[in-house]
Amino acid sequence: MKGWHFILALAVVGLLVLFYKGLWGDPRTIPTVLIGTQAPSFSGPVVRTGEMITSSRFQGKVVLLNFWASWCLECRTEHENLLALNRRFGSNPDFVMLGINYQDRKEDAEKYLEVYGSTFNHLRDPKGAISIDYGVYGVPETFVIDRQGVIRYKYVGPLVGPAYTNLIENVLEPLLEGRPFPRS
Amino acid sequence: MKNAPILILVLILSISIPFTAAEAATVEEEQIDLQMREIAKTLRCTICQNESIWESQAELAHQMRDIIKERLMKGESPDEIRAYFLSRYGDYILLAPQKSGLNWLLWGGPFALLAVGGLFLYRTLSRWVAQTTITKQEDLPPIDDQLRKRIEQELHSRED
Amino acid sequence: MFIEIGHFAVVVALVLSVIGVIGPILGLKRNKPDWVRVARQAVTLNFFLISVGMAALIYSFLTNDFSVKYVMATSNSKLPIFYKVAGLWGGHEGSLMLWVWILTAFSTIVVWLHWRTQPAVMPYLISVQSVIMLGFLAMIVFLSNPFERLFPIPADGRDLNPLLQDPAMVVHPPMLYLGYVGFSIPFAFAMAALFSGRLGEEWIKVTQRWTLFAWIALTTGILMGGYWAYYELGWGGYWGWDPVENASFMPWLVGTAFLHSVMVQEKRKMFKVWNLFLIIVTFSLSLIGTFLVRSGVLSSVHTFATDPGRGLYILIFLALMMSLGFGTLIVRSGRLKSQIEMDSIISKESVFLFNNLFFLVAAVTVFLGTLYPLLVETLKTAKVSVGPPYYNAVFMPVALGLLLLMGIGPSIAWRKASLENLKKNFLLPILIALVGTAAAWLIGIRTVFGLAGAMIVSFVTTTIVMDFAKGSTLWARRYEFNYFKAFYEAFTNNQRRYAGQITHIGVLVMVVGIIASTIYQTEKVVPMRIGDAIQLKAYTIKMVGLQEVTGPNWTAQEGLFEVYRDGRFVTQLLPQKRIYTASQTPTTESAIHTVNLGHIFLTMPEVGPDGVTVRALINPLVLLVWIGGGIMGLGVFLNIFRSRSKASL
Repeated sequence: MKGWHFILALAVVGLLVLFYKGLWGDPRTIPTVLIGTQAPSFSGPVVRTGEMITSSRFQGKVVLLNFWASWCLECRTEHENLLALNRRFGSNPDFVMLGINYQDRKEDAEKYLEVYGSTFNHLRDPKGAISIDYGVYGVPETFVIDRQGVIRYKYVGPLVGPAYTNLIENVLEPLLEGRPFPRS
Repeated sequence: MKNAPILILVLILSISIPFTAAEAATVEEEQIDLQMREIAKTLRCTICQNESIWESQAELAHQMRDIIKERLMKGESPDEIRAYFLSRYGDYILLAPQKSGLNWLLWGGPFALLAVGGLFLYRTLSRWVAQTTITKQEDLPPIDDQLRKRIEQELHSRED
Repeated sequence: MFIEIGHFAVVVALVLSVIGVIGPILGLKRNKPDWVRVARQAVTLNFFLISVGMAALIYSFLTNDFSVKYVMATSNSKLPIFYKVAGLWGGHEGSLMLWVWILTAFSTIVVWLHWRTQPAVMPYLISVQSVIMLGFLAMIVFLSNPFERLFPIPADGRDLNPLLQDPAMVVHPPMLYLGYVGFSIPFAFAMAALFSGRLGEEWIKVTQRWTLFAWIALTTGILMGGYWAYYELGWGGYWGWDPVENASFMPWLVGTAFLHSVMVQEKRKMFKVWNLFLIIVTFSLSLIGTFLVRSGVLSSVHTFATDPGRGLYILIFLALMMSLGFGTLIVRSGRLKSQIEMDSIISKESVFLFNNLFFLVAAVTVFLGTLYPLLVETLKTAKVSVGPPYYNAVFMPVALGLLLLMGIGPSIAWRKASLENLKKNFLLPILIALVGTAAAWLIGIRTVFGLAGAMIVSFVTTTIVMDFAKGSTLWARRYEFNYFKAFYEAFTNNQRRYAGQITHIGVLVMVVGIIASTIYQTEKVVPMRIGDAIQLKAYTIKMVGLQEVTGPNWTAQEGLFEVYRDGRFVTQLLPQKRIYTASQTPTTESAIHTVNLGHIFLTMPEVGPDGVTVRALINPLVLLVWIGGGIMGLGVFLNIFRSRSKASL
């Protein structure tokens, strides 16, 4: 076997292996770079009242940020779970839930909250400044920020099924109880 | 036809007539728009299939363009703005990957291949040339005076 | 009923293609020529069977038979007839049918055309073509069946993707496939040559015209795709370095290298293994393109609906074909001994080799850029993007190098170019190149690519003009013809060379178009209301109205814009924002006005209650991109249909 035979065979095999591995990836998901970094500060008007809320208000608390939109069908599937989360942890003074309304019209957002119910505050993000600061590319997206203001968790997609229990058992409970955060 | 390139250049000129002096404010605004366009073309629209945020018609891309503009007006440099988006979305958002680490394979690979291939080609060609002349000298019968005369005659007869 | 007949025909074709693969091999082993003949009939019959399948599908499209799942997914009762036929290749399943149909058509032509003249390689040829046929037919029958019925029958179809409802898109896929499939013929001949051990120049001479045809079809396909993107995607560009565009560009690049490299083998009997390698790579890249587009490994604007199962199947097929191709090359290449005779490094032979090096590096660049995100994801589970800024920085210099070689190659002498030969051929072009660069500088071109482009284009143009002039002068002197007749005689007596030069002129024209429209594009994206006006270079664009218009299967908001230059009315532009009724998909329809081979280009990406967003562009000389393509086509046409009787060089 000559040298070029070997190189050629290697190149062909390498390429085929690469293609094979590529078949199982999803070219559309983007891994986040924000985990472990200081959460960007933000401020915005509350959807219904228009009252301005600034992130500094939540210093020292565990914050769950949920980006959603009225036109997003997957957001509807997780909405019940979000309300359940708030029922479960809402009484904890160290916990805050906030919705960020992403690329939406005020009326549509209001109507959505009326229909599906709301027990926590939702901020409007008309210019996309908050969303882009958090590297959001598709709703729903959920972030958890710890007491020190560091982003500890991010999930893209609806919080249903395993994603929901994982969020409670491996993220929120440890953070709120001050247990070490299990590395997944 | 010889003048074709010049003709073409003149054509370009005739189309790109410089715009007349406008107000200072709009000039500055245009400058910012121009810069924004250059930056937007290097960032990938994260919700689109494969478009820059300049080309994309998605709402998110629109908002990103506005943010670029805002930051430009605050006096940030294009590289600072790109660094901001990089810190939020990661490498995915850069249409031209950073020149570091494994990415050098991407940036340098083709040029390295060109250099190595060129060198290899040059050496192979030189070897072939050397082989060719050697075999030829061996194969050819020695040229005596008679033969030389004939060759010269034939060469002359062809040169009319 | 028709659809079942079509389905049956395709299944029978699948079985026959197995006979097509095995028949010739048995025939050779047992020395029974009848088996080869049977295989030939199988190939021929396959063409008719697939035609029946195509006809059944077209019939279902025309009769709005939405009980056929594929018709339901890609058509609609209100879809114009024109697009109903095109709907056939508007989705994954149907476009595979088109692929196979072209393949069977070509195979049939090859079998009948070369049956007498190529008896020794014919069995292998049939076998290889049938393997490809088998691979695609199995995919159609088992994984992508366009004949599948639906129950209950839906009332109407989901409509052809609105972006594909465009004349350029009707022609683009067939052209592309003519190119891809066309390259399968030199590939099959190459494989046949390897198997049969007839490794001379025969296979190259026989496939010369096939290769040219495949090449120009692929070129046309790519350019059509560009034109479609240009006015249908609405951002005013014709090439976005999208993975799917790259997938068609890679076989083009290597195919072009092959096209040039075979000339050396014909003339000098060198580079035999190299040429076999190039055609195997070209065809493999066609298949890789199919894999990339249909497996969903890469994200792109153009991909079909994806399915890992199909991806896996194509990958296995790809692996088989590549092993067959490269494996045979490795095993058999020991028999090949090119007689290497190289008199000098400064010769046409070596320029050809450098041409090949540059084409390969260009292809590797595109390949690397396309697959790098996949590589990074596999190695580091991180995501990166590779887009236009990368290609502009890395591909463009290589392309300029190729362009320069295009000026040197045709004019430099075979074997050994003397100093005198070099002076005679290149002194003037170099001077003109300098003048051209200076002129570019004087009219205000300052970018490196602009100046380098001006320099190289003037250089190459001069070499080509000199080439034509020299040939004509020779004939004019020798036979005292007038120059027109001399030119004609020179051209027809060496048509291969001069037709090639015409294709080169086409490339130059295209390059001027590309440089002008990329570097000197003026672009504005602005919100406008009725009554507003914007200034774009010398033009004033005024919005005068917005109206509702209705088409056969869409409704649209149409903007009325008036374009003025120095206060004088130039034209009216009517860009639309359409909503296609069936799928409720919006599209932007651009409005274009041509001036001086350039375009004023207008789209309305957003229409809202408080005004519209307008994207306005001036693309100078952009038409040259496609005019150049036309000239390239003319060159190839003259090359394919040159008369054989005259001496060829």
